Amino acid sequence: MTQALIYALTGAVLFMLGVRSTLLRDSLLARILGLNVSGAGIFLIFVSLAYRGDSMPTDPIPHALVLTGLVVAISATALALALNRRLREMDDE
Amino acid sequence: MAEAAIGAGLSGALLLIALRDETDSNLTALKVSQVTRWLVDLFSLIMTVLIGWVLWLTIYVEPVERLAPLANAMLEHSGVSNPVTAVLLNYRGYDTLLELVVVLAAVLGVMVVGRERRGYRQAGPVFCGLVHWLVPLLIVTAGYLLWIGAHTPGGAFQAGATLAAAGIVLRLAGNDAAGLPEGMWLRWLLVAGIGLFLTVGLGVTLNDGQFLQYPKAWSGTLILLIESAATASIAAALVLAYRGGRPDGWLSVADKDNDREVSS
Amino acid sequence: MNNLLIWPVALPLLSALLALLWPRRSTWIGVAGTGLSLSAVLLVSRQVVESGSIELALGGWAPGLGIALRVDGLSLLMLLMSSLVAMAVAVYSSVYFSDSERRGEFWVLWLLLITALHALFLSGDLFNLYVTLELLGLSAVVLACLGGSRASLQAALRYLVLGLLGSLAFLMGVALIYAGYGTLDMAALGDAIEAGPTAWVALSLMTGGLLIKSALFPLHFWLPPAHANAPAPVSAVLSALVVKAALYLILRLWLELFDGVVTQASAMIIGVLGAVAVLWGSWAALQAQRLKLMAAYSTVAQLGYLFLFLPLLAAIPEGEGRDLALGALVLLALTHGFAKSAFFLAAGVIMQRAGHDRIAELGGTARALPVTAFTIALAGVALIGLPPSGSFLAKWQLLSTVFVTGQWLWLPVIAVGTLLAGAYIFRLLGHAFAPGEGVGPSLSVGREEIPAVLLALIATLLLGFWAAEVWELVPISAYAGGEA
Repeated sequence: MTQALIYALTGAVLFMLGVRSTLLRDSLLARILGLNVSGAGIFLIFVSLAYRGDSMPTDPIPHALVLTGLVVAISATALALALNRRLREMDDE
Repeated sequence: MAEAAIGAGLSGALLLIALRDETDSNLTALKVSQVTRWLVDLFSLIMTVLIGWVLWLTIYVEPVERLAPLANAMLEHSGVSNPVTAVLLNYRGYDTLLELVVVLAAVLGVMVVGRERRGYRQAGPVFCGLVHWLVPLLIVTAGYLLWIGAHTPGGAFQAGATLAAAGIVLRLAGNDAAGLPEGMWLRWLLVAGIGLFLTVGLGVTLNDGQFLQYPKAWSGTLILLIESAATASIAAALVLAYRGGRPDGWLSVADKDNDREVSS
Repeated sequence: MNNLLIWPVALPLLSALLALLWPRRSTWIGVAGTGLSLSAVLLVSRQVVESGSIELALGGWAPGLGIALRVDGLSLLMLLMSSLVAMAVAVYSSVYFSDSERRGEFWVLWLLLITALHALFLSGDLFNLYVTLELLGLSAVVLACLGGSRASLQAALRYLVLGLLGSLAFLMGVALIYAGYGTLDMAALGDAIEAGPTAWVALSLMTGGLLIKSALFPLHFWLPPAHANAPAPVSAVLSALVVKAALYLILRLWLELFDGVVTQASAMIIGVLGAVAVLWGSWAALQAQRLKLMAAYSTVAQLGYLFLFLPLLAAIPEGEGRDLALGALVLLALTHGFAKSAFFLAAGVIMQRAGHDRIAELGGTARALPVTAFTIALAGVALIGLPPSGSFLAKWQLLSTVFVTGQWLWLPVIAVGTLLAGAYIFRLLGHAFAPGEGVGPSLSVGREEIPAVLLALIATLLLGFWAAEVWELVPISAYAGGEA
């Protein structure tokens, strides 16, 4: 269980580091990156919740939630990056 | 863990594209003062400690029994033998359906916001040679990932991502469309995953079931069918997001008299 | 038979796919799809009125392993509001977007937004709620981009980044809940959750995330630019419906899932923020030079009123008294939803005719567009809270709850907020009814003006007369915590 806890705590730190840079950074790209780091932290926590000891099969629910969450996060990132790029093009025009 | 790695890699790729486009637009919200910085740091520290405390309590001190025993016990009724696929496509299939809708909304957003990026020069002979065996290999890998998803880690998302990689390689080699069709066919491709999922979900209700309650004998087949369609749609969406905007022919289906494409 | 519950989600989704496949028919598909979704909601409501809350276990799996859809009084009222507002806005949009090359995309995303709203109000599973929140956020952002101007894209991107931050905080809370209680089904969680560190931290993360999305002061700053720069029909649904979805979730969490966890002190903090939102939002609306910006600031203020209820609800023990106050909250939310969407649609009509929405130059509006001017006046009655509107009754109940609980602090807030609302509405009406050439005479199209006036009539008359029905529906709960 110690190993799972270490993963989960790392996830918590990643989550808050991501939130922090989303709040504080000026650059939008850094903010979007921060959101991705936060998401990764949460997914790490979910994965560590799946671990139930060496002798037990893992819990498939958190694994599936991570997969769903990843696809959602990638979609949102793609949209944010497209918006960011369009705004920059408008600045150039 | 394989899933996590693939996902992280993909978002990484998308972020790198943005870096290629050089600096950010100077869209600064509000200049952050030193005090605010300090407050945010303090807030982050406190929240980290709190979340860590809860994780310590729930994972280490008194872990509770979660849904794993139930999920594994019901596996034989799910039509697949890989528990994660059972959750994604059967127990919590509704989540996956809505997830595909999120993908569609995002890719439509990318197409609303901008036109696609310039493509790349036609690749030289060495890279072309590489492409000639890399693309078929990726397509076969995608099919394999889809097929084994029923038993071991794999499935629609991984297969879709691999298929999308084939499209990206094609575009790097100078194929601007990245292997995607145009006009109506592209629209059908985007709709396929959700459309089939929804049709199956509603179809089984005719047979006295709940929404998405597959008949037991058919669940394996239906799941594979849904996953195949979802793979195609996810791959198309990822490639479109990579192309960075709406293709030139996108709006013409709507505006010009284009009966040929509509009827084909 | 319970499969009835999937139709409010399946029908708009199916229509969205059809609209994507047949872009040239998209207007027709969009309006018809919205109408079909409305009729599905009406069928659901008939069954709820007859036989109480309904549950649908998707895939036939027991809730917990599978996902359950549930509808009860609260979610039904939100569903009715969103599908009725959506219907009126769809009719208006069929004219607004008729010449736009973006109409194909508009209708697909419009239907996806309705799908997301309905899925959110029906969902009985925490992780599923996260997915619906993201779907709602993304489709709303894309709709807000359709204007295409730099200002609208900039506002949309900020809206997106903050919305994502909000949903990630929510998801973190969901992870902690699964860690601590081993299930995501909200009915089971309503029984299981008890005061303790897990519940505390999870509740604060989820509430924090939702507060960003519902734009409570001081997290409101993204709302005015996003709502004011979007196309008029989109502003209408953003202000009337999308922010309400986050508020609905806060109510679900505070009153049902975390019923025994919420403390008076935390509710007071939110109440104070709500009070500041009422005062600041109304003041900013009074200062606004543009019609749509005024409406957006007014949304910030009106949302503030809804949050004033939280400390009151927390102070009243479960039972009839609390249901009365909750009913008033819902009535106020509904009235605002109908009135604000009417207001934005009317603003859209004026903007298209006059080519601008500068309040000081709106002279002549009443003569050129009498129906629209009437709509603004009616919606104004509901926004101020004058009789016979639903918000009048709701505010009356709010006052009496203030007396019962002895939280006098809110009394001056409600009074000043109402006076300021009166001031900004009458300032606007003063300009609109003044003589002038700001808006030239024009041919009015019924499909543009009539949906707005109907929405305003619902807010001002119908909800006033049907308030008793709202109070009857609210206590029907699908969750153990709500109705012991």
